[in-house]
Amino acid sequence: MAYFKDAQDVYDTLGKLFVDLAEDEELAPKFRKANTIVRYEYRQPESTITVRLQEGQPGDVDFGESGMEPEVVMSMEADTAHRFWLGQVNVTVALARGQIKAKGPVAKILKLVPLTKPVFPRYKAQLEAQGRSDLIEA
Amino acid sequence: MTFKDFYQFAAPTRVISGRELIASTGFEFAKEGAERVLVVTDRVIRDTGLVEKVEGGVADGGLEVVGVFDDVPQDSDTAVVMRCAEQAKDQGADSLLAVGGGSVIDTTKGANVVFSHGGTIPEWEGVFGLPRERDGMGRPLRLAPLGAIPTTAGTGSEASPVAVIKDSERGIKFVILDFPLAPDLAILDPESTATLPAPIAAATGMDALTHAIEGVTSTEWSPHGDAYALHAIRLIRDSLERAVADASDEEARGNMLVAANLAIAPTGFGATGITHSMSHPCGARYGVPHGVANAINLPPVIEFNAVASEEVADQFGGAAELLGVDARGGGEQVGRALADHVRELRARLGLPGRLSEVGVPEQGIPQLAEDAMGEGSTLVNPREPTADDFVELFHKAL
Repeated sequence: MAYFKDAQDVYDTLGKLFVDLAEDEELAPKFRKANTIVRYEYRQPESTITVRLQEGQPGDVDFGESGMEPEVVMSMEADTAHRFWLGQVNVTVALARGQIKAKGPVAKILKLVPLTKPVFPRYKAQLEAQGRSDLIEA
Repeated sequence: MTFKDFYQFAAPTRVISGRELIASTGFEFAKEGAERVLVVTDRVIRDTGLVEKVEGGVADGGLEVVGVFDDVPQDSDTAVVMRCAEQAKDQGADSLLAVGGGSVIDTTKGANVVFSHGGTIPEWEGVFGLPRERDGMGRPLRLAPLGAIPTTAGTGSEASPVAVIKDSERGIKFVILDFPLAPDLAILDPESTATLPAPIAAATGMDALTHAIEGVTSTEWSPHGDAYALHAIRLIRDSLERAVADASDEEARGNMLVAANLAIAPTGFGATGITHSMSHPCGARYGVPHGVANAINLPPVIEFNAVASEEVADQFGGAAELLGVDARGGGEQVGRALADHVRELRARLGLPGRLSEVGVPEQGIPQLAEDAMGEGSTLVNPREPTADDFVELFHKAL
């Protein structure tokens, strides 16, 4: 059974993480060095998050339909995304197994993977603060 | 020995290897479903007379050569790929046959994607993103039959599921990786490298050695990959210098073709390392040939990586032993001994030893380091490098 009950559940949790990261004074400038727009297409439940990671631009995060034209599209089950942000997914293995599919200049996103490590405890803390221990234990 | 949590391996390309196989190209390619063949090559190869022999071999097997696309430059790009795909359609081809080095083979792979699935080639950039049954989650849809006759012994592209294509508009090289990209047939015949100039034989051979060493030391190493790569190292040990020194040494050239074909097996499934992370931007920004860049960057990377852990030191030790290097001691000693061996081999082959000799300026290092951090190979290196580490490594190679 999927961790998230509907798209709004994804936006309230994973989506909130992206919004918080976009406003983070330390991490946001590093992520924006990727200079791209990424769309995360999630399955189970169907949901979409589009993120602008461009130097000198606002850190826009759109849920659902977006006017931003993505350069990179990463598609996966929402559960895979959730486990990634908990530090439980090896991206290279997930790509090799097709659990994560990547379209576009994948290197731009792979470059960010080492930067995500400090975010793992933050996501866990966010879920705890949201009273979503069910997602941490899932 | 570690039982890995996960790896996957496939060797989807049927390889035939031996002498006088060019004449039976059509007989073999027919088994892959080819009937009307577009031959893809470059003008240098065409001028050697090899393509004519291949055309004869195709026709001998009862297949039709509908055309020859010989417009692939040394550093092919998206426009060439699109022209090649258009020619295949215009001439009614049902299959493509690459006769050339890495650029020709990757161009043909890219053209095959567009020929079979439509669109433009940049649209297919990505990892495991080719069309599949079951809404993208099932079996990949087939591409047109693709054969390859490599004319260099290095890239191994004739057996890999990867194509690297330059996009001149964006000023980048991009990657398409998916199982169907692997050619259906590879023909390894030393006749195809008979006219290969010694410096290119040397550089491409060092590319194959880099694939093999990084293949067995990457975090994505696998027992299957090791079986291929370690034997490749044996063949390279016995054949590379002979093939470079004496173009008439058919046995050495044949074994180098086999070595390059074996060495790509782990790399094709992601077992690589930061020698490649450093060499790709050297090529993209300063036009350094890939094999030359690998030959220069490999030794400092070996020294950097060999101290990662005892297990990694053992992996380097295994490769070193096969090359006849005294691999006793800890990671530092093993790394230094193996790196010195590679430096000496490189010198004996007459290849440049420093990036500064091949046009890389010192002031370019910060950008090269940043580029290297963004390479996929960096993620699977046995030791996690920082941007500062890359700066230091580039300085060592400069």
